[in-house]
Amino acid sequence: MIGGIRFLLNDSDVLTDVAPGTLALDFLRRDKRLVGTKEGCKEGDCGACVVLVGELFAGGVEYHPVTSCLLPLGELHGKHLVTIEGLNRHALSPVQQAIVDTGGSQCGFCTPGIVMSLTGFLLDPETRKDARGCKNALGGNLCRCTGYASLIRAGRQVLQKIGGNNIFTNEFSENATVQMLIEQQVLPAYFQSIPARLKNIPAKVQRRDRATPYCLVAGGTDLYVQKGDALANLNVHLLSRQSGLKQIKLSEKRVHIGPLTTFEAFARHPIINQSIPDIQKYSHYNASWQVRNRATIGGNIINASPIGDMTALLLALESDLVFRAGRKQRTVALKSFFTGYKLFDKAADEILTDVIFPVPDAGSKINFEKVSKRQTLDIATVNSGIKIVADGALIRKVELSMGGVAPIPLFLKKTCDFLRNKRVMPEYILQANDIAQSEISPISDVRGSSEYKRLLVRQLLIAHFTKLFPELIQVRAFYEAH
Amino acid sequence: MSKQVNLSVGIQDNLREITVEIPDEAPRPWDGTDKLKYIGGRVSRVDGQEKTTGRAKFSSDIQLPGMLYARFLRSPQPAAVVKSIDISKAESAPGVKAILLVQEKLPMIVRFVGQEILAVAAETRQQADDALKLIEVVYRERPFVTKTDEARRADSPVVFEQAVEEKKSEGDLPGAAATAGQNGNVRGPQIRPKGGAPDKVDAALAGSDAVVEATYRTQVQTHSAMETHGVVAQWQDLNHLTVWASTQGTFTVRDELAEVFEMPKSQIRVLTKHMGGGFGAKFGAGIYGVMAAKLARQANAPVRLMLDRKEEHLCVGNRPDSTQKLKVGANSDGKLTALKLLAYGTAGVGTGAGVSGPARNIYEIEHIYSEESDVFTNAGPGAAFRAPGHPQGAFALEQAIDELAYKLKIDPLAFRKTNTSKNEIRQVQYKLAAAKANWAKRNSRPAADSGPIKRGMGVANSVWYYFYGTGFQASIQVNSDGSVEPTNGVQDIGGGITTIIAMVVAEELGLKPTDIRVTIGDSDLGFGPASGGSQTTAGITPAVRDAAYRARMRMFDIAAPLLGVSAEQLRADEGRIFAKEDKNKSLTWKQVASKMPGDKFTIVGERFKDHIQTKPRTIAGVQVAEVEVDTETGVVRVERVVAVHDCGRPLDRLTLESQINGGIIQGISYALFEDRILDRNTGIMVNANLEQYKIAGSLDVPKIESVILDVNHGQSSTGAIGIGEPATVPTAAAIANAVFHATGARVRELPMTPDRVLSALEYKEGGTS
Ligand SMILES: Cc1cc2nc3c(=O)[nH]c(=O)nc-3n(C[C@H](O)[C@H](O)[C@H](O)COP(=O)(O)OP(=O)(O)OC[C@H]3O[C@@H](n4cnc5c(N)ncnc54)[C@H](O)[C@@H]3O)c2cc1C
Ligand code: FES
Ligand code: FES
Repeated sequence: MIGGIRFLLNDSDVLTDVAPGTLALDFLRRDKRLVGTKEGCKEGDCGACVVLVGELFAGGVEYHPVTSCLLPLGELHGKHLVTIEGLNRHALSPVQQAIVDTGGSQCGFCTPGIVMSLTGFLLDPETRKDARGCKNALGGNLCRCTGYASLIRAGRQVLQKIGGNNIFTNEFSENATVQMLIEQQVLPAYFQSIPARLKNIPAKVQRRDRATPYCLVAGGTDLYVQKGDALANLNVHLLSRQSGLKQIKLSEKRVHIGPLTTFEAFARHPIINQSIPDIQKYSHYNASWQVRNRATIGGNIINASPIGDMTALLLALESDLVFRAGRKQRTVALKSFFTGYKLFDKAADEILTDVIFPVPDAGSKINFEKVSKRQTLDIATVNSGIKIVADGALIRKVELSMGGVAPIPLFLKKTCDFLRNKRVMPEYILQANDIAQSEISPISDVRGSSEYKRLLVRQLLIAHFTKLFPELIQVRAFYEAH
Repeated sequence: MSKQVNLSVGIQDNLREITVEIPDEAPRPWDGTDKLKYIGGRVSRVDGQEKTTGRAKFSSDIQLPGMLYARFLRSPQPAAVVKSIDISKAESAPGVKAILLVQEKLPMIVRFVGQEILAVAAETRQQADDALKLIEVVYRERPFVTKTDEARRADSPVVFEQAVEEKKSEGDLPGAAATAGQNGNVRGPQIRPKGGAPDKVDAALAGSDAVVEATYRTQVQTHSAMETHGVVAQWQDLNHLTVWASTQGTFTVRDELAEVFEMPKSQIRVLTKHMGGGFGAKFGAGIYGVMAAKLARQANAPVRLMLDRKEEHLCVGNRPDSTQKLKVGANSDGKLTALKLLAYGTAGVGTGAGVSGPARNIYEIEHIYSEESDVFTNAGPGAAFRAPGHPQGAFALEQAIDELAYKLKIDPLAFRKTNTSKNEIRQVQYKLAAAKANWAKRNSRPAADSGPIKRGMGVANSVWYYFYGTGFQASIQVNSDGSVEPTNGVQDIGGGITTIIAMVVAEELGLKPTDIRVTIGDSDLGFGPASGGSQTTAGITPAVRDAAYRARMRMFDIAAPLLGVSAEQLRADEGRIFAKEDKNKSLTWKQVASKMPGDKFTIVGERFKDHIQTKPRTIAGVQVAEVEVDTETGVVRVERVVAVHDCGRPLDRLTLESQINGGIIQGISYALFEDRILDRNTGIMVNANLEQYKIAGSLDVPKIESVILDVNHGQSSTGAIGIGEPATVPTAAAIANAVFHATGARVRELPMTPDRVLSALEYKEGGTS
């Protein structure tokens, strides 16, 4: 990238020539000597490095907490990067004070990251809606000392304190939120000047230098875990610079998802919520809020992990992928995209530009299940998506996916074929399980033994039907049939 | 030169009078009747501001001019002989300033994947990492063993051979003495009979009405503190070394470095202003500390050497695994008769896999026999980990006790009551725990819920011991401007000792904790405890209080002539010194200070032995866990934990509660998630990160209700005991008992992963599906 990266770091302007693939965390700690942001794992798992990134939107600047250890510096061009140092004022902010008051900081190593996440929590209209949001907001922050109870209490206390008289309404715009949080001393006054200052930074066009090998980066949440510091020295191509890869739209009864859509944006979008009514619930089980703010739908698919959550869901929704290389464009069904472990039908220079699925018919039912040990920040042992079109108890059509049971995210074609035109009855579901068992090929690994995964396939299949047809079938029936 | 004082001691408000003899110069110990202002209250951390603003500097944040970054080259082999090392390419690589071998003369024997071979210091971390890639090491591979059971067999590869064990300078290898009684990979057993010879135990078991015999297994857990191990080392000159260390023992680090570098201790300074958690793994200087100091000397520049997350999992400590064959007997009257424990475990290339503490120290059992061995394997060394041996021991013992209770058709809580009848504290704890957990409402039948989601409630006891240590010296300097500065070399590992020192001084001097400027974490200051055995608070606070008391006396001596009363009549409160009988005779603390001769005075308080010599006192605790088990997927969710712990005389309830919460969540994490997994074929840890090595997060937190049980003993001037460790001891056991109550299936292996829970369920149903 030519001409350097320009962004706002707390209250100051930054123009730097460091490589765009440099980790924001390294830039902060090493180049800027801002050591309040900590390094605990460098893999997105601990949250010691959480920062806020502010981006211009119509209503002002929208802030999201993200892990700076997976954040390429180039992504920050034209944005506002806020670290713990940028929140400090003369007195403690209500967030900081609440953590002190509840005893939420013991050794203190995790504390700056927690302050950032809880501040992000207040800035975010979705998570701050209810008290549970506070637990979710801390989903990406590990603390080995406190046991979290005091931290959750701290979050609730602040929310109570500043949101007491229902100060947050649903229509609270970004601008008004920031203004109010400045008044409440959660944010320093300089935040007011940020939108205008950001508008002054000219956008950056990125030309792909086709001569040297390059690395496409979407959210970077897979790439940085795999390649780490090495990316700083590679020729990274930031897909976010490319316009038109982010929007979600409806067209001719089909939902189009820009592959750069983050997990979080996906789960919150009205179009998606209409198509997949429980998407928010599923989303909570994916990664953590801090990672969901970066991880993209496209990255999840191209990463080709057999256990990718979004991929499993999109498989059940009969998604198609649109690729482009130069002027050439082609469409591939997601079902036939994967060819082997981490292998897929895509040329090196092709970019995923659209993910499309048909709007589910009125009669169709969708469910997604994921079994993992922890409640958050845990890659699934087995996950599964399903879409069923039924007439009462008669199944017209089934689309079923399973992750973690084969080298690829698996579409269970035979099982789907079998279930067509069957009635929702335990015996058919158990027979479907027998077929599913023949389609899968799980291996034993740290996530669980192959026998256990086989068992989970059965249980998830049952769970799908009992959840989607509670009036027709109950879990107990399977015990009896068993 | 001593005086007698009367104290009210006992459990909560149930007090009795005792008389103790204390030195003339010492304050009357705080007891159950003292109404104190700060002590026993909820005081938030005096360093909370530093921590929440990110201004608190940890070792990894120390930045010195010209500082180099060091990285280790670690063995990829689980067992090998290093034949040769070629560093020539790396030496001339950009930025490289020094390369040093851990063992100067080859051949070097390597015993686990991750063992340190050499370290490189370069101008940037990236350069150091790049240089490592240019180093060529020739290994001659040797057979290895990673599984504890395989390592015990006669035909197993041997981890340690005699020749190597003689070497003593490597602080983390077992010395010659430790390996006495070693046979193959098995060191031990250590045998501890109580109440007669082993045959007596067998006879008593044979004669019991009911016996439970089972084998329990626990996994290897890594400490996974949020800040990794590491130091910054700087030589002032050839004879003076300063080390910023992420440690639990400023003095233990200093002493080890003094030994390695053959320097007087006073020429080494260890600084730990803040550190990001230790849990037992951060005591010595470590190879990283020694190598950082050597590199710094060689390169003539300060060196930072911080481990990364992977190294943290591999090389710097873990809780050993265990296999415990336990046999416990009882009669139908509900009295335990005998207990036999045969246990072994691996601390990798380290030692210390004993687990018998709970078995020997909780219940009133006439005959106890225990046999424990360490088994060497080709894995990173174990280290002390929050109540070493006890969560493991409790997991086995407390399940066996539970099984026995069910067998005898006695309520598990009542069964425990009967068998700890002489322990007053436990009796009170059971009552409180039962009330809080609503134990009476619990269905006595296991697996009573219909439907796939089943709920259960289980109980488990914990035990720990009262440690304190002596010889610590706390200074208090009172300046003529009235400011008060207590100092001691002790480090704050998150337990909040900084705040507690401020509280003790404030209480004694009638000031506010925020008025007190505490300086700690510096080995140049007075000798302080290492934070192990939960002894920090019990160790240092009596010395602090003694110093503060004498500082107050000194202030009274200054104030007395000014107020025209005798010093005995004076009191200090709310920043004033005044006559008890006539409050108009009063001066502010500052006014009195301004009249001191000179500019300041300093008083040193020392930690002596307790006034009352209790024999090793056990610290009791009990926890009740409530779980929800999804019998379809095997997933266990902990819904609620009720914890009742003996907290001695609580100093700060806020820090105490946090400690208990933290101990419980670590216990849940141990029970359900954490497991260091070594690949049997390569000896490589397959989950050396925080993605697959799971520790509990905010969404895994159950409702935790802790009852802090005040127990005044009057044993020292502050009456403090430790709570850092006890809270983590019984959690996994209580959860296991709750899982049994929910499902009727015993999970005798940790962690209780969904597949293990499902197999336990299958086993219970006689092997269906
Ligand atoms: C802490 C943590 C927790 C996680 N938890 C989960 C979880 O619960 N469930 C889950 O499914 N995943 C999880 N992940 C994995 C990861 O977040 C997802 O796979 C994510 O969707 C990857 O998206 P990304 O944009 O970050 O991908 P990137 O890392 O940017 O890219 C991944 C790959 O896709 C390629 N790529 C990306 N976009 C395009 C495109 N438009 N065209 C062509 N190639 C492209 C890149 O070149 C790269 O090879 C987790 C990751 C972390 C770090
Ligand atoms: S350092 Fe752990 S999440 Fe970034
Ligand atoms: S306070 Fe130590 S890790 Fe959170």
